[in-house]
Amino acid sequence: MAAMVQRLRASVISTPTASLINLVGLAIVAVALVATAQRVYQGGATYFFQTLGFGLAQGAIFALVALGYTMVYGIIELINFAHGDVFTLGAFISLALMPVFGLNEGRISGAALILPLLGLFVVTMLICALVNVGIERVAYRPLRHAPRLAPLITAIGMSALLEGVMNVWRGPFNLHYPDFLPSTQIPIGGGVTIAAKAVMVIVVAVVLMVSLTLFVNRSKLGKAMRATAQDRDAAQLMGIDINRTISATFFIGAALAGAAGIIYGLYYNSVQAFDGFQYGLYAFTAAVFGGIGNIPGAALGGILIGVIYSISDGYFTVSWTQVLVFAILIFVLVFRPTGLLGMRVPEK
Amino acid sequence: MTTVRNFVRSNVRNPNAVAYFLMAVSALFFPAVVQFATGGSGDYLVGLAADGGIYMLMAIGLNVVVGFAGLLDLGYAAFFAIGSYTYALVASNHLGVTPIGHSLHVPFWIALFIGMFVAATAGALLGAPTLRLRGDYLAIVTLGFGEIVPRVFRNAGIWTGGVPGISALDVPTLPGWVQGPWVGQDFGWVPDFRFTSANLTAYYMLMIILIAFVVILVHNLYNSRLGRAWMAVREDETAAAASGVNTVSVKLLAFSIGAATSGFAGAFYGAKLSYVSSENFGFIVSVTVLAMVVLGGMGNIPGAMLGAIVLYFILFWLLPNAPGQMQGLASSLGLDWLNQSNPNGWPGIGEVVSRSKYVIFGLILVGIMLLRPQGLLPSQIRKQELTHEEPEALAAPRQLQA
Amino acid sequence: MVRARGLAVLIVAAFVAFACGNAGGGTSSKGTIDIGSDLPTSGADASSGLPTQYGAAFAVSQAGTVKGFTLKFVPYDDAVNGKHDPTKGAQNLQQMLSDSKLLGMVGPFNSGVAAAEIPVANQAPLALISPSNTNECLTLAFDYCQKYAGYTAASLRPTGKNNYFRVAANDTFQGPAMADFAADTLGLKTIAVFDDQEPFGLGVANNFAKEFTKKGGTVVARQGFDTSSKPDFHAWLNKAKAAGAQGIYAGATSASYGCIARSQSQGIFDANSYYLGPDGIGDGQCIKDSGAMASDHMYATQGVADANSNTSAAATIAAYKKAHPSPDDTGAYTFAGYDCAAILIDAIGRAIDANGGNMPTRQQVIDQMAKTSNFAGLTGTYTLNDKGDPTTPALQVQQYKGGAWTTVKNIAVTV
Repeated sequence: MAAMVQRLRASVISTPTASLINLVGLAIVAVALVATAQRVYQGGATYFFQTLGFGLAQGAIFALVALGYTMVYGIIELINFAHGDVFTLGAFISLALMPVFGLNEGRISGAALILPLLGLFVVTMLICALVNVGIERVAYRPLRHAPRLAPLITAIGMSALLEGVMNVWRGPFNLHYPDFLPSTQIPIGGGVTIAAKAVMVIVVAVVLMVSLTLFVNRSKLGKAMRATAQDRDAAQLMGIDINRTISATFFIGAALAGAAGIIYGLYYNSVQAFDGFQYGLYAFTAAVFGGIGNIPGAALGGILIGVIYSISDGYFTVSWTQVLVFAILIFVLVFRPTGLLGMRVPEK
Repeated sequence: MTTVRNFVRSNVRNPNAVAYFLMAVSALFFPAVVQFATGGSGDYLVGLAADGGIYMLMAIGLNVVVGFAGLLDLGYAAFFAIGSYTYALVASNHLGVTPIGHSLHVPFWIALFIGMFVAATAGALLGAPTLRLRGDYLAIVTLGFGEIVPRVFRNAGIWTGGVPGISALDVPTLPGWVQGPWVGQDFGWVPDFRFTSANLTAYYMLMIILIAFVVILVHNLYNSRLGRAWMAVREDETAAAASGVNTVSVKLLAFSIGAATSGFAGAFYGAKLSYVSSENFGFIVSVTVLAMVVLGGMGNIPGAMLGAIVLYFILFWLLPNAPGQMQGLASSLGLDWLNQSNPNGWPGIGEVVSRSKYVIFGLILVGIMLLRPQGLLPSQIRKQELTHEEPEALAAPRQLQA
Repeated sequence: MVRARGLAVLIVAAFVAFACGNAGGGTSSKGTIDIGSDLPTSGADASSGLPTQYGAAFAVSQAGTVKGFTLKFVPYDDAVNGKHDPTKGAQNLQQMLSDSKLLGMVGPFNSGVAAAEIPVANQAPLALISPSNTNECLTLAFDYCQKYAGYTAASLRPTGKNNYFRVAANDTFQGPAMADFAADTLGLKTIAVFDDQEPFGLGVANNFAKEFTKKGGTVVARQGFDTSSKPDFHAWLNKAKAAGAQGIYAGATSASYGCIARSQSQGIFDANSYYLGPDGIGDGQCIKDSGAMASDHMYATQGVADANSNTSAAATIAAYKKAHPSPDDTGAYTFAGYDCAAILIDAIGRAIDANGGNMPTRQQVIDQMAKTSNFAGLTGTYTLNDKGDPTTPALQVQQYKGGAWTTVKNIAVTV
């Protein structure tokens, strides 16, 4: 009986049409790559590296947000729609906290910025993390054993709620986010320059991502997370406090999103209550692209989506970039549901 | 006479029968009551109810996909958009200015079914490669599709009119219509009747007929062999396949039927508004329809209809009017300062209330799932599922790799 | 199945019963005439919509009555989630049409909303007069209209008769006015142009590009942005810089992120590069969004003349400012809104006369609107032609200088 079920499952996944579809998919990817290579060659090196710089900076922010999606999905298989709005909340909270840290635009610059900014990061990340833990406690934990649809709908509800709260708080306007990062260009040899702002964004994001990876791989809590993700019941039998572990996952994911919110504000200098939803969808696409549930996958996916975004903007037409990103989402799910780095996990 | 009594007796304790009966009676009296209550200027409200019918149609359609077959569709508005744009292209001057160079003016009654057919085809095309994915992955694919479709319409330039969309679409016409005092005229027969925004009651009646048509269709499907196959697939896909159900075609049919209903609603929407633009088919529309189905009771047709009525009333009548009501309340209490914006960031009570729309929407969604997950008018079968835990054996292996 | 059939019977019964029922006809209260307005008055767009609405409301309250009929101002809001929405506008209009006392509407504010509203109003018919719509395809026939705007003046008017009027100079003036200014006064040679893909933004950007090219300038990196969510302009700005642009022309409004591109250009363009745009960016939100990049190298056109330079308007302006003391309550189109309401009331008055002192029909109001000539308003003297356009529109170029948008050039044109 078990063998028959296994075979049936296999047949659901790999039908003859599937291999044909895969072939078509590979052909499309190949054509797209050739077209891009040709345009990049015509555009010259300086332009390419500048475009790449913007892409990497944007990708780094995507990656930070994507990590939260992927960790939560990995551990309780929930698309946490509210995550994108926790990210915007990070920008909003940090904007409100700036006067507390003496961060006044135009009156503070250079090395004097480092300590207040560090404090701003820590406090904002903490608040976002607590908000997200609260969301999990109120909206997801009571539904942990309900059908999949139930927590998904509360997640959409929490997303709307957060957007609404930010909208009531500051209105639907575009808010100016103070500009503290230098606007200089750093030469990287051969007359090619890259924006200092972009470099800083990338550095901060990489530091955060490396510390997260170390944490999940080395710490006891990280081990508990991996165990809970693999088999919740077995982990519980081993004496792991499931609720605490899940809360910790939401805590870390939201802290990264909060940090991403500040970086977003500093990089784009503007933020709006509804920004997080769209940005969250890109980040989520990045998580799926890299292989959902996979932490290095989310980082890689984020960077790649960012680069694809800027290359499409810089070499092709801006109008179709968003369509391209979501087309990638569908492509990945149809041709390689496990993403770039994910393992084969059937039937999700 | 006894048959009537038996019929009544057997149905009076059935919540679905009661709901159908009450909805039909309200639909019957609504225009008359509204016209009476507003002293004859309620045509707009009747038109608003016809717009609500569009959402009701979509809720009935999405209920087939989510409630019957258990497929989570987060991009349902895409099919609505496809239906609307199909209508806009075949029933306006627009095709004449595209490279095709020849405009089509298909009569509404045929264009309605073209819109439906094109949406169903789109559903089948999207479904064929993606329905082998299960659960959340399908939700993500449909979410992506829902984001792509309006953007394609937005960017397709001359073909879809770009961002401004397509305006001045044909209105439905009939060879004749009964006119009377409800449009401020004497009784009489109007030949070559045109549905215009001056006579929204005609749209309302048309909507009632469309809904009745779709309800009967879907109701019969649900009670057929296909309906039982949907239920089997929803409960356990592997077991359904083992029992000889062709799961792929069964799911594909659910998906296409849902899409078709949405396309139907889209064509009506285009005709009534005489205008389509890509702005009106975003994720929020998909979520609203999903929330209607969940609120009413997944898997239950009158439940989805009831959910549509309740949520439409809240979102499109209560909330838009709330700012004005609050302003009126504040000034009648002598608190006029509440209405004025001030430099400290207070935008005035009306603006605050209008900004809180999303807060209320979010609270409704979270509230339903936590307090009454089976919905207002639950399906008896789904109710049992929701109150019992999902067996762990069905859960797929998970992973978190670092 | 039985139940479903029962339902069908019930619904058919409902249909028949209603068709036979008497729901009361529309009677008009003789003595009141409603003037509607449809402007974005909540959220981000409110900063431009509300001051305009206040202007129109002020005109109605100043007039009070017309030929014995009491005037009532009925404002509508076409913003959804803080942004103007064509569908909402069309629905508002349907609501207005169900009010038989309503004889005309001031608005809409945005050309995109006008494109959705004109066909609905045209079939009723109802007179619309907009203080701020500038898209030329709303009233004039050009061969590019269908391609770029998605509609033509004729396709918006299914009955073939005009019911739409406006007082602002259309984009065949606004775009070229800035192009002339850029080429002749500022001496620019290469400009990058983007738009927000809306009828207004796209139209004004195309007209700017055409005139600038005619003047011998070069337009580079022409691009439309999807502004339904906030775009990332970095890669495009870099492309523009690489193509040698000395400045940017933003065919957009502040609400469609017109000045976010200015702020994101930091590090790519320098703060003294030129940033030009239409009236949509000539407001305070644009300056806030520009952040550190706000400078006196930013210029915007305005589609109406400056009411403050009209001496005969001084008393009315002073009365308005007394009633609305907050500086936020006076915007670029406040007095254009006033003028629109005044023109409408004037036409209603003449229509009452033409109808023997009785309540005129909506068509009679439209007929009188079309005959408006030499109407002395606050922002200028208006004669409306058969297309609905003013015959002698005026516009101004403003520079962001000393913390405010300041008029640097007045331009009068003749159609």
